[in-house]
Amino acid sequence: MPLAYSVPTDLSPATVVNATSLLRIVALALISGAAIASRLFAVVNFESIIHEFDPWFNYRATRVLASEGFYEFWNWFDPTAWYPLGRVVGGTIYPGLMATSGVIYNILHALNLPVDIRNICVLLAPGFSALTAWSTYMFTKEMKNESAGLLAAAFIGIVPGYISRSVAGSYDNEAIAIFLLMFTFFLWIKALKTGSALFGTLAALFYFYMVAAWGGYAFITNMIPLHAFALILMGRFSSRLYVAYSSWYAIGTLASMQVPFVGFQPVRTSEHMAALGVFGLLQIIAFSELVRAHVSSKQFQSLLYASVIGMGILGALGIVGLTYKGWIAPWTGRFYSLWDTGYAKKYIPIIASVSEHQPTAWPSFFMDLQLLIFLFPAGVVLCFRELRDEHVFVIIYAVVASYFAGVMVRLMLTLTPCVCVCAAVAFSSVLDTYIDPVEPEAVEEDAQTAGDGAVSASSTAVSTSSGSTTTTKKGKKAAPAAHAGPLDGLVSTVSAAVSSKKGEKARGIFGGDTRLAVILNALGMLLFFVLHCTYVTSSAYSSPSVVLASTNPDGSQHIIDDFREAYYWLRQNTPETAVVMSWWDYGYQIAGMADRPTLVDNNTWNNTHIATVGKAMSSSEEVAYPILRKHDVDYVLVIFGGLLGYSGDDINKFLWMVRIAQGVWPDEIQEPNYFTAKGEYRVDDEASATMKNSLMYKMSYYRFAELFGGNQAVDRVRGQQMPRIGPTLDYLDEAFTSENWIVRIYQVKKDDLLGRDLRTANAFEQGKKRKRSKPVARRKAIV
Amino acid sequence: MLLPLLALFFLPFSIAASVDADHAKLVQLAAKHSGVIKLDDSSYKLLTNPKRTWSSSVQFTALDKKRRCGPCKEFDPTWNAVAKAWAKVPAAERDNHFFATVDFDRAMTIFQQLGLQSAPVVQVWPAADGPRRPAHGRTNPITLDFSQGFDAAPLAEQLSHYTPAPIPYKAPFDYSRIASGAFLVLSFVAALRFVSPILKSRWTWAAITVLTSLIMTSGYMFVRIRGMPYTGPNGAWVAGGYQTQYGQEVQVVAMIYGTLAAGFLMLTLVVPRQLSPSRQRMQIYLWTGVIFVMYSVLVSLFKEKNRGYPFRLLL
Repeated sequence: MPLAYSVPTDLSPATVVNATSLLRIVALALISGAAIASRLFAVVNFESIIHEFDPWFNYRATRVLASEGFYEFWNWFDPTAWYPLGRVVGGTIYPGLMATSGVIYNILHALNLPVDIRNICVLLAPGFSALTAWSTYMFTKEMKNESAGLLAAAFIGIVPGYISRSVAGSYDNEAIAIFLLMFTFFLWIKALKTGSALFGTLAALFYFYMVAAWGGYAFITNMIPLHAFALILMGRFSSRLYVAYSSWYAIGTLASMQVPFVGFQPVRTSEHMAALGVFGLLQIIAFSELVRAHVSSKQFQSLLYASVIGMGILGALGIVGLTYKGWIAPWTGRFYSLWDTGYAKKYIPIIASVSEHQPTAWPSFFMDLQLLIFLFPAGVVLCFRELRDEHVFVIIYAVVASYFAGVMVRLMLTLTPCVCVCAAVAFSSVLDTYIDPVEPEAVEEDAQTAGDGAVSASSTAVSTSSGSTTTTKKGKKAAPAAHAGPLDGLVSTVSAAVSSKKGEKARGIFGGDTRLAVILNALGMLLFFVLHCTYVTSSAYSSPSVVLASTNPDGSQHIIDDFREAYYWLRQNTPETAVVMSWWDYGYQIAGMADRPTLVDNNTWNNTHIATVGKAMSSSEEVAYPILRKHDVDYVLVIFGGLLGYSGDDINKFLWMVRIAQGVWPDEIQEPNYFTAKGEYRVDDEASATMKNSLMYKMSYYRFAELFGGNQAVDRVRGQQMPRIGPTLDYLDEAFTSENWIVRIYQVKKDDLLGRDLRTANAFEQGKKRKRSKPVARRKAIV
Repeated sequence: MLLPLLALFFLPFSIAASVDADHAKLVQLAAKHSGVIKLDDSSYKLLTNPKRTWSSSVQFTALDKKRRCGPCKEFDPTWNAVAKAWAKVPAAERDNHFFATVDFDRAMTIFQQLGLQSAPVVQVWPAADGPRRPAHGRTNPITLDFSQGFDAAPLAEQLSHYTPAPIPYKAPFDYSRIASGAFLVLSFVAALRFVSPILKSRWTWAAITVLTSLIMTSGYMFVRIRGMPYTGPNGAWVAGGYQTQYGQEVQVVAMIYGTLAAGFLMLTLVVPRQLSPSRQRMQIYLWTGVIFVMYSVLVSLFKEKNRGYPFRLLL
């Protein structure tokens, strides 16, 4: 057998095996190192700090867990959130993340390593990314082989789509959830392959961990039944499937019901009914298989089939009936909005208002996955080529996840592992083919051309030109399978290539230069991928968003630390019971950094309460004041980016406040009133009267014009010139404005001591004469 | 005591009489045009009488072909359907709320009066007098927003806030859709014998899977949900900006992804089966070149969307 390049022949097989396993371990260790290191940009560029919004709550909860123990945490009622309602924290969170950090914290302290809980929280996500790389390796190994597994591990280690949710400091549920997702899937595949109840149980246990950690567990709850169902439809029912699924479902469901936040949902909501239905179906099929094995009569078998189908239909009808009667809750809005994409905007504006719930444009896919995104379909085709049970899983995963990722930016996260696995399968197949030194035996050139007539060497002709007799036949047989479609030619050639797997010797590549060309090209692409990932990670995904960075003219970094400045001001200058009102985005940060009670926060469970805040922000001072007083609000906090050009400020979010308030009080708040007559959203002179009188507008632009010392004031976010005379405030006092005006805090005035209307009192102080003609408005009762 | 009251009673009587006459005219007009009054200048004055005891909802539109108002044409049937639904309400309530349409080419002055620059617009004119005058006393027209699209059901729901009785709008039963659905199912069942080998072939499913994932990862859902146009103004097909895209980009990007994936599949599955060395070499170089060029195109397209991106290949 000719070889393209020489390989050492004097190595014993044992040496080769040992060397490869050592290399694998070294490679995995290096991949883990790279995965962790690439997530540390945020710590290196800024500091060891918790990022964004939700992580601040998780961090706060973890601190409670670490300092007061698990039972205190479990029973924690937080009176400062959702003031005056409070929040039962233990029953309304997924505790997996906090429990994980708590366990790590306790282990480290038992080993006398006094690590701060904050550092554990900051570094938890990078640490778990190494575990994700490992579990992806294990998963891909089941799909193809170890080398594809290593590639997949390397891909998922550095791919931006996953890094975006797991940089150091982004202490969120997803940090551990992706590891759990991949590992549960790996265990499920393993259980399915071996038919072992042990692996099924392990899958159930990790499923439980996942349920405890992330609301996205519903993805597993539906993926595994879908896989099982597809296998049944393909006629691949086996006792392995039965054992794996039954052990996973029975134990996993019982375990998941132990999480208080989940409770009885697994038997009461539609999201979980697919799993239950497939479980029932498997029992019916297993029973019929059993009976069939013992009974020979033909009639009896057909009767059996009829009864099996009848039972299946009855079961499905039963589920539908129970849903209809209200015993099983219908799809929740969050879940439903994935199918009916207009649903959220109409009925649950809070969900639609979150930026990570927007649909995904293609540049986001390319940014997050780069070359993997086009290797992904190639990998899917390769999965179809083998189509073992586990490949069916990856195929279903690919379709479902790519749809979900298209609908919501956030779900890119669930697509990423699948893309990494498929791309690794495709890429390692290329490398396998072109690194393999074995050369096939050449067929005489002239015989070949004579064989298939005038066939050009173009791509579509490949299947025929490669043809000795057997292939052409099989190629023709496969031809009708490929019906009309853009991939027509590809499918037929590929199917021809595939269907001749047996009977013929595997083909190969001639020559060294061809090998070199393909491999160099492949390596170049990988190198580019690494550069891309490093660039994206360092520039786009490593900003804590609590601390902002800008660049000075000389290129050095300038840190904008307004948020912490303002939160620490609150912490040090206000009484501990002072209630702070802000839009819900900042609730967790205020609770975490300022340690003050808030009206609403990022756990958006009470729409009316949020709408109340929205109403207060969007109505005039006179209307808002009673609302503020009724809720004991002492301070109101707004985010204003007009001076610095920080576009994520409250004026830009203002329309959502209006919309959400309008949902509850359609008579009092109307969105069109906040637009100019031409239907534009403006904040300058032309702004509508309602807009100019709204509390949010006044708080944002109060004394803004003065800052420009007589020059034209300009709002740098909206690029509009502000009126020379800014709004005035009667019911609020400016308490604090941060260095760059990003955070502005106002104190709500108490009632006037003389019982006057605050506006009148203000006018009196400024020496304006009261108009005689109109009687003074009486002080409005607060109740 | 009684005298001033009486005076108050008689004073608006003459005005009231003319208001009643206006009302009768309007009822007639509405009945003539199956519920929707086609307004011109004079009937507009009737409808928006400052002493009106009725409310009305008015559609401002420009249906003439030369105005090229696509949304107007889209919205008009919806409007008529809702007005038709209102015509079914008992006369006592129906005659207290009118549906009307102002076409730009019939009544330009009305547009100018109201300072309307765009169409379609829907305004609700509340009653200015009588029992149906709103409690807060604001009688100037309210402009409705189309935030929920041009569908009839949400429009009817929105308008029902202002009508004396809720508009009994029910979406028409779509027989043609049911029929075509039933036809499709039946023909599928009938053809099952011939189609089943196709359905059982894994490559059918492979094609479906690959096409779905290609389309989805090219931003198809973004275009659909946001209702993005196929191309931009002046035939530009690349939307500027990282967070947006046009319909044509879906096709181009899906095609690039597809070509690149096909290149890799060719190199792994098909080329190694080529038995003649020279031909195989040519194919390998061809596909490597295709991959390299297409990848460069893709990167430069991405650079077009994301200007700060520092990398590029050939282009």
